[in-house]
Amino acid sequence: MNVHDWALIAFSILVQMSVGAMWVLRVVHYFAARKYGVEAADRLSDRALLALVPVIALAFVASLFHLGDPFNAYRAVTNLGSSWLSREIFFGVVFAALVVVFAFLQWRKIGSFGLRNVIAWLAALVGLVLVYSMFNVYLLPSQPAWNSWATPISFFATTFLLGALAMGAAFVANYAYLQRKEPGCADTQCTLMREALRWIAVAAVLLLGVELVALPLYLATLAGGSAAGLASVQLMVGSYGWVLALRVVLVFVGAGVFAMFLYQNAMSAGQEKVLGNLAYAAFVIVLVAEVLGRALFYAVHVQIGI
Amino acid sequence: MAKQKAFYFDSSACTGCKVCQVACQDKNNLPASLLWRRVFHYGGGSWVQQGETMAPNNLFAYSVSTACQHCANPVCRDVCPTAAISKRADGIVVIDAEKCIGCRYCQWACPYGAPQFNEEAKVMTKCNFCYDLQDQGLNPACVDACVMRCLDFGDLEELRQKYGNLDAIEPLPTGEITEPALVITPHKHAQMSGQGTGRILNLPEEV
Repeated sequence: MNVHDWALIAFSILVQMSVGAMWVLRVVHYFAARKYGVEAADRLSDRALLALVPVIALAFVASLFHLGDPFNAYRAVTNLGSSWLSREIFFGVVFAALVVVFAFLQWRKIGSFGLRNVIAWLAALVGLVLVYSMFNVYLLPSQPAWNSWATPISFFATTFLLGALAMGAAFVANYAYLQRKEPGCADTQCTLMREALRWIAVAAVLLLGVELVALPLYLATLAGGSAAGLASVQLMVGSYGWVLALRVVLVFVGAGVFAMFLYQNAMSAGQEKVLGNLAYAAFVIVLVAEVLGRALFYAVHVQIGI
Repeated sequence: MAKQKAFYFDSSACTGCKVCQVACQDKNNLPASLLWRRVFHYGGGSWVQQGETMAPNNLFAYSVSTACQHCANPVCRDVCPTAAISKRADGIVVIDAEKCIGCRYCQWACPYGAPQFNEEAKVMTKCNFCYDLQDQGLNPACVDACVMRCLDFGDLEELRQKYGNLDAIEPLPTGEITEPALVITPHKHAQMSGQGTGRILNLPEEV
């Protein structure tokens, strides 16, 4: 692990979290607006949306630390014709721009609802194309540990798992803020937050299932493939075995155990404090788990050849 | 078919002396950390006890000198986000240091370890087939330096007609990923890529 790898870990995790968060915000806002009106839905999600802006900015700053010559980073979009890395950077910039524009318009309520809605859905869709480009970057024939069906699965699982739990934590923080500012006025907001958290908990458990099923299948197919693939598996269960174990335990605790408690506590009103702590804890634990998983991803790729 | 410059390597004659590697570093003025041409020692087998003595059991070892293969399908060029890598009309694959941003993605893509990061210049570098010498009608430095005359270069098709189609032996990867412009005469103990029973015998810091 060196600074170049950490730059990639930070960039890919933060970007994927932002894409997932954008989708969660879109879906939550859509259903919230249908049930309680646009204004209540805005109050639930506007601050969470604004929080995405510094996260995305941080991701791009982190990515520069990967480069030998960061001042010429703009050149990285000059081979869109054949390089998935070029496409990743390109769609990353488009996604970031759309999110920033949407967040600003939404914050200041500039433009019609329809216009903002179109920009927001466009951002979410470009986000999917971005994650699609990201996993294609790693589908290199020389890298058996990456050149696998498991790479897209794990990238999308990380995207939506972290996006969902990050927004869960954001909704809780937003609710606490609203309560402090105008105590007692937040009944609808409380209901909205609890319903959103319940669905977030359900999504987290489902995505945990995906990750836990994919992992052993991935290890088995990789070990049965090339010698380099087998060497990667040996690293993962050998010298890096403790990272893998810690990653699995943490994601199980965060997206399984804590998500279950989250679901239960979100059933009835009056437990907002506990709910809040659970949502924060689930997010932090899963964030650590996913960072460990991504660190492992960059640490164990054994190249074919010399 | 377009011209394609290629290296020829005779593993049956190579003694693993590494003068090609040294000549390359000298001609290209490379720091110690960069090895555009590398010599691998590959071997296997074991020793078994026979009474009071240890006897060799299928012991073998041979050397492979390798650089950039200037591939027909250069994956390094395809993945480069800044289009800094290109193929000349003669098939030589070159990196434009002006365009390179040092992201090292080509390093992940290449199975020959050809693109290497220059820590001082902060860009990727690799064997350029001494195209400056070739453009003057001279030989690449490694070819001229080889004391066993086991390195040569020329047009790929001509080399294939002369020496055959073999483009990979252990520890090189099979040719299917990048279609290397390489023609090999195998050592008598050479093992086919992907089916090797031996291992690289060099110290890690050596290559």
